[in-house]
Amino acid sequence: MTGISLPKPASKDNTSALWRFISTGGGGLLIIVLLFTAIMAIVSKQFLSTFNIFIVLREVSTAVLIGFSQMIVLAIGQMNLSVGAIGGLVVVMSGGLMEVYHWPIWAAVAAGLSIGILAGMLNGLIITRTGLNAFIVTLATASIYLGLNLGLTSAQPFYKIPAAYKAIGQARWLFVPRMSVVTVMVIILMAIFLYRMIAGRHLLAVGGNAIAAETSGIPVKRMVILSHSISGFLAAAAGMLWSAQLGSAQPMIGQTWILTSFAVPIIGGVALAGGSVSLRGTVLAAFLIAIINNALVHLQVDPYYVQFLVGMLILAAVGLNRLAQRQPGGKKGGVA
Amino acid sequence: MTEQLDHVALEVSGVSKAFPGVLALDNVSMTLRTGEIHALVGENGAGKSTLIKIITGLYQPDPGEMKMFGKPVKFSSTRAAIQAGIGVVPQERNLIPRFTVGENILLEKMPVQAGAFVDYRQINKEAQKWLDVMRLAISPGEMVADLSAAQMQLVETAKALALDSRVLLLDEPTASITTHEVTFLFSVLRDLRDQGVAILFVTHKLEEVMELCDCVTVLRDGRNVASGEKIAGLTRDQLITWMIGRPQEITELPPKQLSSEEPALELRNLSAESGTRDASFKLHRGEVLGLYGLVGAGRTELAHALIGAARITGGELLVDGKPARPKDVSTAMNKYKIGYVSENRKTEGLILSHSILFNVSITIWKRIARLFGWVRSAEERSVVLDNVSKLDVRTPSLEQRVMNLSGGNQQKVSIAKWLAAKADILIFDEPTIGIDIKTKYALHDLIWDLAAQGKAVLLISSDMPEMIRLADRVLVMKANRIIDELPNSHDYDQMSQRIMQDLA
Repeated sequence: MTGISLPKPASKDNTSALWRFISTGGGGLLIIVLLFTAIMAIVSKQFLSTFNIFIVLREVSTAVLIGFSQMIVLAIGQMNLSVGAIGGLVVVMSGGLMEVYHWPIWAAVAAGLSIGILAGMLNGLIITRTGLNAFIVTLATASIYLGLNLGLTSAQPFYKIPAAYKAIGQARWLFVPRMSVVTVMVIILMAIFLYRMIAGRHLLAVGGNAIAAETSGIPVKRMVILSHSISGFLAAAAGMLWSAQLGSAQPMIGQTWILTSFAVPIIGGVALAGGSVSLRGTVLAAFLIAIINNALVHLQVDPYYVQFLVGMLILAAVGLNRLAQRQPGGKKGGVA
Repeated sequence: MTEQLDHVALEVSGVSKAFPGVLALDNVSMTLRTGEIHALVGENGAGKSTLIKIITGLYQPDPGEMKMFGKPVKFSSTRAAIQAGIGVVPQERNLIPRFTVGENILLEKMPVQAGAFVDYRQINKEAQKWLDVMRLAISPGEMVADLSAAQMQLVETAKALALDSRVLLLDEPTASITTHEVTFLFSVLRDLRDQGVAILFVTHKLEEVMELCDCVTVLRDGRNVASGEKIAGLTRDQLITWMIGRPQEITELPPKQLSSEEPALELRNLSAESGTRDASFKLHRGEVLGLYGLVGAGRTELAHALIGAARITGGELLVDGKPARPKDVSTAMNKYKIGYVSENRKTEGLILSHSILFNVSITIWKRIARLFGWVRSAEERSVVLDNVSKLDVRTPSLEQRVMNLSGGNQQKVSIAKWLAAKADILIFDEPTIGIDIKTKYALHDLIWDLAAQGKAVLLISSDMPEMIRLADRVLVMKANRIIDELPNSHDYDQMSQRIMQDLA
């Protein structure tokens, strides 16, 4: 009996976490990031100054967290429109605890992270209990979280933030922002979680094929709740770093995140349909967004046109990335 | 050996299931023994799917009971059935594309390391064991997304077995794989049977029942017509009579006239981006030209080049003797009158949630549109009704949603779409896949009639009896090339042998 003609076994090993981090997604992004950097280095003398690199890396640090916060929900094929609202709520709550109630920094941070997890968990619970679409649920909770934030603070920021807290966001070693330590740790933990841990694999399995996951005994609903909880946790972390960087707990933090939160993972190659994430791509995309924002400052673009140009550049970046992926060895286009 | 044959693995007795307005199953019984392959057959709507859903825990029987290895069981969920040892290979692929083969096989019980971490070394080791059982030469570390349809089918079977299933249920496992691969799958299933697995094999294809199975249960209108009859001693005709309730009448296809004019479609060394290399053939009006090949031979890819869905990179394409270059599907349809009835009618051919009217009229809006794209609905209706009734689509109204139609009627709607578009050259890609016998022959008649009326038909099929019944000539395709052209003698044994020789 002859077997069916089968292609030769792949020589590459798809299973090491490190290999997956390096190989999955990203595509031509690295080239685009280097290209943007090169152009900016030529156009503006200050672009590669120690201080400016610090500024860019600081923005990358928060953009990665905001991007991951959305990515972990995209991974199960859903969306979280309340990323920014959770970030904002956490900022004012932890800020308030420090200024009004004089909580120590560690306690306020722990409380902030818990609030983020709870807010995300609530999203997940509503989605799994009601069967409503994540889009509409998080659209509503975004308004709820923002409303709570504004109601509690009457839109007034907390300014009396401990100096040690501000230092997390403002101190640096040469061009390396201190807060990037947090981001690097999160990247490593996410890689281990998604590629090596049972829970992470289960979460991706739900995004890849919910029916197959269900019949294989994976608790689909619990994975949905877990994914939203992680999203809330990451949004909380991003919010607190942001306020440390500003040096005050602004209620409006998070209002501008919606674009970043989607642009970073999507430029990074994360599938909207779920099941496939790219950590490397997402990190690179955060670099790209940070560089674009920074470049517009250096080029002294009319501030009223910044939003317009950011949109245009993101579109261009997505297009370039797609083009790069189509090149040698890429999958053919056309009818699937 | 005889002892083992008497070993009852799964016993279904007196099972009924009612849905509002219908009694889907009426007192059905079936006994599945270890070491045997048991066929479950029946026309669409006979109750097969309902019975499968009860066995796999998706539905609970109203009255009726099930026993596994002598012990009464009640499955409250799919999970419960799986845990009791029922391995299911569903009809739809149910793997996670971005996971490795090994992870998919062991998804149910991923080997754990230090409490929370995936033990990939153990996964690969265990998965390899099951891949060996399936005689699959792929590495457990390979991505499922990179596999062929047949490989996925076998991985899915390995996944079901990895749960230490004593009962293996395969639902239409050959629907998306070809003869050659079917032979391989069958040899694997026979091995499993000899190792003591009880196999329930659900199919439409009687050839498979006769070739592979030891006994058969037939359902018709929700009732047992036969329960566990031995295949040895049964004839195909007897099976058909059971299934459709009367002997089958295969109408002789009437003779038809091949046009002697210029070919409607001619390819000269055509190559395309989709992979096609140096394809040459002529297709005349009134002719059914068969295109046979295994999955992955590049038949659909060739069709895509003809309808402008893949760029032509070399050679010539002539429609009615004139050079043609369909740059997109719209040009292929409107200018060259080429229509393509897709093999994936549910995903590519039709918009399931829309009405028949909408689905058929898609292709004609452009033609009947007035100023500013105004479409007169009376005109739209009349064109659609004309074509839908020509094909005898059974439906209460044109407003009926396509998802509520049977597979055969859905296929007719996708054909009606192209007739409405006034297509002269029709490409049928696996037109009867997943369609029951009764409807299958009706579709054969339909395709034949269309050719007799002067359409030029290119028939892509991996269903050998279908090919030999319908085609005037058969092109054999392998690795994106047309490797042979055979006149059809309509002698099944001779033709199938010649074709398989070509492909070997």
